[in-house]
Amino acid sequence: MGESLQPLGEEEEGKEEEKDEKQAKMQTHMIVLKEPFPTIRIRQQHLFDPSGFPYSRLPLTSCLLERTWIFTPGANNNMASLGLSYDGCNFFRQRLVLSTLSGKHVKIKNIRFKDDDPGLRDFEASFIRLLDKVTNGSRIEINQTGTVLFYQPGLLYGGSVEHDCNPQRSIGYYLEALLMLAPFMKMSLKATLRGVTNDPTDPTVDLLKSTALPLMKKFGIDGDGFDITVVKRGMPPGGGGEVVFTCPVRRIVKPIQLTEPGKIKRIRGVAYSVRVSPQMGNRIVVSARSILNQFLPDIYIYTDHRKGASSGKSPGFGLTLVAETLNGCFFSAEMSSVPQGQGTVLPEDLGRNCAKLLLEEVYRGGCVDSSNQSLALLLMTLGQQDVSKVLLGPLSPYTIEFLRHIRDFFQIMFKIEVQKPLEDERKGGDKVLMTCVGVGYSNINKTVK
Amino acid sequence: MERKEKKQKKHQQKHSGPKAEKKKVKKQGASKEEDERKRNPKAFTVQSAVRMAKTFYRAQDLKTKKHHIPLVDRTPLEPPPVVIAVVGPPKVGKSTLIRCLVKNFIRQKLSNICGPVTVVSGKKRRLTFMECNNDINTMIDLAKVADLVLMLIDASFGFEMETFEFLNICQVHGFPRIMGVLTHLDSFKTNKTLRKTKKKLKHRFWTEVYQGAKLFYLSGMVYGEYQTQEVKNLGRFISVMKFRPLVWQTSHPYVLVDRMEDLTDPEKIRTDPKCDRTVSLYGYLRGAHLKNRSHIHIPGVGDFQVSDVVFLPDPCPLPEAQKKRALNEKERLLYAPMAGVGGLVYDKDAVYIDIPASHVNQQQEEVRPTTELVQSLIDTHATLDAKMAVSKVSLFSGSAMLDSTDGTNQSREHEGLQEKPVWDSIMNRERRKVIFNEDNVEEEEEEEDEEEDEDDGFSGSSDGEDDDQADEDENQEDLVTFLKEVRVECEGMTEGHVPPKKIQKMDKGQREVITEAPAFADSEDELENNKEDDETWEAGYSGHSSTKNDEESEEESMEDGSTAKERLKNQTEKESEEEEEHGTLRWKEGLQQKAADTFLRQQEAAPNLRKLVYGSVVEAEEEEEEEEELGGLFRVSLPQKSKKVQANTPDCSRFTPDTSHNWDLEEMLNSIRDCFVTGKWEEQQDASTLLKQDEELYGDFEDLETGVVHTGQAAEPGEPEDEEKDEEKDEVQGKMNNDVEEVQRNRRLEKKRRLKERFDAEYDDGDATYFDDLKEEMQKQAELNKAEFEGMDDESRVQYEGFRPGMYIRVELSSLPCEFVNNFDPNYPIILGGLGSSEGNIGYLQMRLKKHRWYDRILKTRDPLIFSLGWRRFQTIPLYHIEDHNGRHRLLKYTPQHMHCGASIWGPITPQGSGFLALQSVAETKANFRIAATGVVLDLDKSVTIVKKLKLIGYPYKIFKNTCFVKGMFNSVLEVAKFEGASVRTVSGIRGQIKKALSTPPGAYRATFEDRLLMSDIVFLRSWYPVSVPQLYNPVTSLLLPPTQKDSWSGMRTLGQLKNDLGIHNKPKPDSLYKPIVRAKRLFNVLHIPKELQKALPFKSKPKQQQPKGKTPRDLQRPSVIREPHERKVAALLQALSTVHNYKKKKIHTAQHAKHKHFLQQKEKQEEAQLKRQKLAQKKRYRVMGQMDQKKLKSSLKGAPKDD
Repeated sequence: MGESLQPLGEEEEGKEEEKDEKQAKMQTHMIVLKEPFPTIRIRQQHLFDPSGFPYSRLPLTSCLLERTWIFTPGANNNMASLGLSYDGCNFFRQRLVLSTLSGKHVKIKNIRFKDDDPGLRDFEASFIRLLDKVTNGSRIEINQTGTVLFYQPGLLYGGSVEHDCNPQRSIGYYLEALLMLAPFMKMSLKATLRGVTNDPTDPTVDLLKSTALPLMKKFGIDGDGFDITVVKRGMPPGGGGEVVFTCPVRRIVKPIQLTEPGKIKRIRGVAYSVRVSPQMGNRIVVSARSILNQFLPDIYIYTDHRKGASSGKSPGFGLTLVAETLNGCFFSAEMSSVPQGQGTVLPEDLGRNCAKLLLEEVYRGGCVDSSNQSLALLLMTLGQQDVSKVLLGPLSPYTIEFLRHIRDFFQIMFKIEVQKPLEDERKGGDKVLMTCVGVGYSNINKTVK
Repeated sequence: MERKEKKQKKHQQKHSGPKAEKKKVKKQGASKEEDERKRNPKAFTVQSAVRMAKTFYRAQDLKTKKHHIPLVDRTPLEPPPVVIAVVGPPKVGKSTLIRCLVKNFIRQKLSNICGPVTVVSGKKRRLTFMECNNDINTMIDLAKVADLVLMLIDASFGFEMETFEFLNICQVHGFPRIMGVLTHLDSFKTNKTLRKTKKKLKHRFWTEVYQGAKLFYLSGMVYGEYQTQEVKNLGRFISVMKFRPLVWQTSHPYVLVDRMEDLTDPEKIRTDPKCDRTVSLYGYLRGAHLKNRSHIHIPGVGDFQVSDVVFLPDPCPLPEAQKKRALNEKERLLYAPMAGVGGLVYDKDAVYIDIPASHVNQQQEEVRPTTELVQSLIDTHATLDAKMAVSKVSLFSGSAMLDSTDGTNQSREHEGLQEKPVWDSIMNRERRKVIFNEDNVEEEEEEEDEEEDEDDGFSGSSDGEDDDQADEDENQEDLVTFLKEVRVECEGMTEGHVPPKKIQKMDKGQREVITEAPAFADSEDELENNKEDDETWEAGYSGHSSTKNDEESEEESMEDGSTAKERLKNQTEKESEEEEEHGTLRWKEGLQQKAADTFLRQQEAAPNLRKLVYGSVVEAEEEEEEEEELGGLFRVSLPQKSKKVQANTPDCSRFTPDTSHNWDLEEMLNSIRDCFVTGKWEEQQDASTLLKQDEELYGDFEDLETGVVHTGQAAEPGEPEDEEKDEEKDEVQGKMNNDVEEVQRNRRLEKKRRLKERFDAEYDDGDATYFDDLKEEMQKQAELNKAEFEGMDDESRVQYEGFRPGMYIRVELSSLPCEFVNNFDPNYPIILGGLGSSEGNIGYLQMRLKKHRWYDRILKTRDPLIFSLGWRRFQTIPLYHIEDHNGRHRLLKYTPQHMHCGASIWGPITPQGSGFLALQSVAETKANFRIAATGVVLDLDKSVTIVKKLKLIGYPYKIFKNTCFVKGMFNSVLEVAKFEGASVRTVSGIRGQIKKALSTPPGAYRATFEDRLLMSDIVFLRSWYPVSVPQLYNPVTSLLLPPTQKDSWSGMRTLGQLKNDLGIHNKPKPDSLYKPIVRAKRLFNVLHIPKELQKALPFKSKPKQQQPKGKTPRDLQRPSVIREPHERKVAALLQALSTVHNYKKKKIHTAQHAKHKHFLQQKEKQEEAQLKRQKLAQKKRYRVMGQMDQKKLKSSLKGAPKDD
């Protein structure tokens, strides 16, 4: 660890474990964070105040967030390294991920500054920690109240990483970002994430496994060690799940042309139940099938009942449904029970609602699942300087913001064309054809021999 | 003889008979080879499987060796001019060659070569010539951008170092095409030497470039020019040459600047002459797509962010496609703003070239400096005309379609007069507001600043718009505000393909509608939705939900800024339309209708997606303003959700479903029926149609067992049916007719052939290899790339894919150092090299480096070195290291002589695999080779792991058996604690381990060894100490130096240079000095042997009286005897006698000895003879005995039967 870093007393025990892994990474600056947020410490007071610097404002868009370009003097005044500034903690992951990939530093101000409990939440801090673990040489600075974050990305390092994800958000929250970063690391990633595997707010691990992985395979990211395995399931609020994500490293990403989704040929699913009666799973399956059977006979929903060590700390159940098309596109929907102590859900209702969600997803259509839109767009952006096309369903707000961020970080704009369904066509709503020319990104972290 | 020959019969070819038949068949039918194979199949069988395999492998090897990795062809349709760098040492004829070539291509003399010169060389090719002076900085920069290098070599002198240096630079940065040109060939006296020199030079050139590289000979000068024919040939070569794509060049955008203008406010310069300059640079974009606001590096200056890019009409366009062979005079264009062409106006701001009147008639006006502006306007109008001719523009919703003709007619008239007021009235207020991105704002700023030098195209387009506005002015009075919108719209659609549409005029009545509009638009469910969705969503979807007309909204989103007013107007307009359609019924209908509505709504919202996503400035700015206005007064009580709240909503990627979709309803379910395989299929994919097709092809068959003939259904109308009909007809017509059979047979054959073809296509797949597939894939991608944005107009195309190579662009940079402008020298190339993402950052680089074998010194670690890497030239401090077997990077003090080693530097992040070269200095031109090292970037990492060997030494101070206390190695207990368990060693090779620290003395420790140590032993610990790479990154800013000193940039000096310059001499270590060797005498103790032992020893080993024979003491010395003369005589006699006696005795003895020898010989002989005799006797005896025995045996045998 760098000499500038004086480990603080309380911090030391936590860091001892990581020490061994990090020895190779010499200059990583660790952030000094501790779990409940008010105890956040600053290592350095704020690097700069934008008002003191020559910065020009980008006249911008209908978007409500303010973006500012900051010029910071690099090591030499000759290297004008450019940064971006944002307000508020929304789209936190997008910003940090894009910053890491583009090498531009980012400053996020006014994070919940009017809140009763201002500053970064625990799960965001946990996310920053994770980011710090997979990168080398990142500089992360947080002010005393946690309302301002400065992030200067290092190089993506990868390797074997273990992380205890904060149970406020499920592992999907962290995994979504890792999926974007993993192919561009120095060494192939093997991340062991612990925490909540399935919760109602974020895309669950099962969903990502069944939709994001096949999507990434289309971009040429595949091979032996490309997998997500759910070792233990953990439901909110207790968590206790464990997921292993492994991903090989790629130097370049292939451009894709995904304009024809094809017809859905089969529906698969997993009905999981943890620390509840195993009958729950069966009840879910029956109710979900009752709706989906109207469309397709080829439906198989596995029941995954866990008990003992692999079942985490809290009870719960849920369903993930995946529809596969002839052209290898995947749509999925999921639903899980509300956390213990916050209400009750009948498994029958859950099954039915989840099936309806899947129908909704099918209605939206496109070639990419709605929760993976941003991943697909990112990989298109990072492709070679060739035209990539993908057909999406209606853009989710998250994706829209992601597109704006892509423009900020990579200066890439997508051509957006709306395809309306024909008069007598019964294929759901209108689709959006996204076209872009990649930036010609190549993985600068990978070593050549 | 001849007669005889003539008499010979001529060969007559047979025209009939069996031979002729045979031949005929041969000619028509199967080839000879096949025939032979048939006739003699054994000769063509496999003789040896192994050999066959070998030949096959070899053939495959040779085939695959020819393959290159297929790349996507990204060359633009209209490629930028080819950059031709003319390189060579001074006085070799570079400028002359360029002059001759330019003259050859455009029939015009260019007296002064200065900066890049672009000419149109043919129908599809333009060339940019750039002369490379002898400065190594220039050589490096030009090698990076050149497509073709003309390497001039003075044949009368031979190769010079510069040539080789340049070749090596090229090798590192990707090898462009290189063509050698030998000059000064007329200086050779004899033809033989000339030939010899040519050959020698050619072969050397070939070893450097490649075998068979083209070398041109320019034989002599005529009136100071090369011979026309030779130049023509060279020109032909150049204009048909093909170029290989170089990795760095194709992956980075770059511009070779051919024009520079300082846009800084003169007032600012007056007050502060050293202020940073705003400069616009012009040139053709090459390589990859350039994005606006991206990072660029100018070699010799530094890194900058592009503040604005615009594309301009091509100043040197290729001729329009026409079917003719040569260019006509008008099309032979020359573009070289930096060069001093005749009649040149070289201002501070701009350069104008005079091209003779025969080429372009407009140019005449240029003579008068006052008309420059007009000139530029005319120039640009021409291009606008072309644009306008194809496009029809409606200025704003209230106006009629604007035809290209009326606008231009008027504009021509009013040009000079009307333009300014329009500008002035609008600019000041409007600028900030309307324009979407900063590009335009700055454009206009610049225009304002520099109205004088508007000679480029983009301003022309806006001029045109102004004129249009002027027209409108005449019609409508109050429209200053209005004009903004118009102008903006215009900008967006200079080539807009806008269909005519219903238009309503904007008036106050409309504004009222605006206020009412929401009441119409918002139904209940919509409000619900909006509540639920977050605000962005709301702003987008509900805001634009009611847009009806796709094209319009799309086009609206295309334009980069439209005022809010107009947007609102459009909205209301459409809303009212919608209202008409759906009416109030919407409220009363049930759920079903609602679902349909939402569906519709989404449909309608969709066209606005682009705007929703990327937005327009106006909205954002207006919102801001609003906030500011209200902010002071009502900040707290704002009814809307504040921006901050929005900014802090939880970050979740999940897309909440549309609540209006009720999946219990049959209609909803039906709306997605066809998404499943069970649903209806498209026409061409439908299973039944596919089946039919199959039947049609394979349908006819005869079941051999049953004899039933199945015929395919002739359901499909068209050919098959006809065929069958034909068949039937044929049948009817007559079996007697032979022709019919023939026809039928042919038909069957035809059918069979088709079937086979189809089958082959399906199952054989040719012999498509992986390589072919890959190539095909690339080809497809290239086609797609070309096709995707083809029809789009450049303005919008530029936004999606960036500025494409081949465009002539103007790049504005905001804060260039003033030296760049003040010390500008057009002879030095200015290159704008685009940087990829994160290439603008700085970090540690690990590279593989090799000292150049022609560089005469080795390089020292931590000596500053100038690298040329990527676009950049910079000085940095490398550390050299080598990888040990266990993967450890061990620091080296010097680079190895003939080996690669690793180097780590602190420098700009550059993709792995890019090559670099290193120089020790760029300042002086030395006689010897300047390139110190070359190599390649391997890895980028934030941390370095170079280690240096460190031996810690300690001394034992207490020795127990194998345990030992060691001191002097460490200073404190803590230090020891860190090394507990480390292995140590003594000089004599005894190994041990550190056990534990001792309390006193500090730093002492206990260690155990495999053997007992001596007090004289030294204990040492081998350890590795990490070394940090010094963080120096010092860009070579050679372009900022004054013109005369541009080649004398010097950075940080090496330690050696510093000492040399300051006259510091290291004092040698006193230990290293030579001194006379004084050897101390060694004293040995006496060896004592105990008496008992002495006794026991054998005599040989007993100590003798070993006193050295010194001088015998006097008393022991015996006196010498001195004889009397008589005695002496006696003694002599006795001596003589005894000698004689001795001789005699010796003689007798020898005789005796010989005699005895003889005797012994005799005796031996006798004995031998005796032995022989004895042997004979014995033999005889044994023989007799044997005979007797035999007899006995015989007799006994004989006797036996008798006995029986």
